[in-house]
Amino acid sequence: MRIINPTFGLAAAGGAKVALKPVNWATDAIALVSNSKPNARELLSGIRDKLGAFRTVDNIDFLSKNSASQPAPKDLLQEVAAKYRGALLAIAD
Amino acid sequence: MKDIAEQEVIDLDDMDVEAFNDFATEQGWSDGMPLYVPTEAKVAKFVETVRGDNRPYPPVPPRQIVPTLQALAANAVMAGCKPEYFPVVTAALRGVLDPDYNLHGTLATTHSCAPMVMVSGPVRHELKINCGSNCFGQGWQANATIGRALGLMLLNVAGAKPGEMDRSTQGNPAKFTFCFGENEEENPWTPYHVQRGFAPTDSVVTVMSGEGPHNLNDHGSTSGDGLLTTFAGGMATPGANTIYGKGPMFVIIGPEHAATLKRDGFTIESIRQELFARSRVHVSRISAENQDTYISTGHKPDGDWFTIARAPEDIHITVAGGPGKHSAFIPSFGGTTVACTRIAR
Repeated sequence: MRIINPTFGLAAAGGAKVALKPVNWATDAIALVSNSKPNARELLSGIRDKLGAFRTVDNIDFLSKNSASQPAPKDLLQEVAAKYRGALLAIAD
Repeated sequence: MKDIAEQEVIDLDDMDVEAFNDFATEQGWSDGMPLYVPTEAKVAKFVETVRGDNRPYPPVPPRQIVPTLQALAANAVMAGCKPEYFPVVTAALRGVLDPDYNLHGTLATTHSCAPMVMVSGPVRHELKINCGSNCFGQGWQANATIGRALGLMLLNVAGAKPGEMDRSTQGNPAKFTFCFGENEEENPWTPYHVQRGFAPTDSVVTVMSGEGPHNLNDHGSTSGDGLLTTFAGGMATPGANTIYGKGPMFVIIGPEHAATLKRDGFTIESIRQELFARSRVHVSRISAENQDTYISTGHKPDGDWFTIARAPEDIHITVAGGPGKHSAFIPSFGGTTVACTRIAR
């Protein structure tokens, strides 16, 4: 018998893959991005402290979404893309 | 041979319903309840019902694929819909694809929200959608399968697999199905879709990412003012997402309660105003730690009180149900909207 696949769909246009360059975690600017849930900032602070044991942390910054329940706004994504080579996301809950 | 996920039409050996259900479960297509077989012929009948609606679908988050009508129809077939229900299901899907509905957030959250589907207008009677007694419950094919079809689309098209993309801590029985009709005939005010600017003759689907209905029982109050005291007390709950004060909610008033409120001169607008004012939660009912959380996310108390909404307009009101002294409060996910879509016919 022939059935229709209930999961079938077409790839969205504009989904081109981005070539990723390697991040040098010892020197590059890093964004620590919180999903704005409780304890996300604390988790990221711990990571920043750990990174501080072997590198400078002057170019490691905290960022956060406006709301835990909403997607990250475009200007935040653009800021991360423009200013940082790597980003660590804390999905706390 | 292509992987099954890449094929729109799948050739299978003939199998009975039980074997198909085993196959579908292995593929991850099931909500746990038995499924109908989405044969090519059956799906074609469903697709025919929406041929007049040529608007393309946007990519469906979180999976971000553009669904074909056949794939959408396959989910409606599996849910047990009749073909004539399909335009209601696709209208519901268009509603949850409103960017302000925040489909990704509502599907990926740990909250228990499910897509509430409310149907207004003449299509309710044409499809025998229950608007009266037990309207949130079992017993009506249209209610049961329209809501279920949307749920299967969110599983199979959007990719909201429980425990994977759907991270709900406890889930909610409404995730199986949550569809009902407005009881426009016993609504002493204006039907909801007309409140939203549609014509009374339009058939409209309204969706909101909500919790299940919270019962508002009041057999004692004989005045509208007394009923609103009970409603507001039931809504003033620190445990609902609406306590963050950032999203919509529904109060679905039972016809007997509605008649009392109307008799005492209340309008939809005055009910909203009263419920907004009276449903505030005193700080003494919220832990200090949780108050810090609310405040850190921008929801500051008004004196010693937290409001449960941004404004009275966040409280959406209509009438559904049958005889009895019950109404219902349906809090939303919070970061979402109430989206209305006219059914293309």
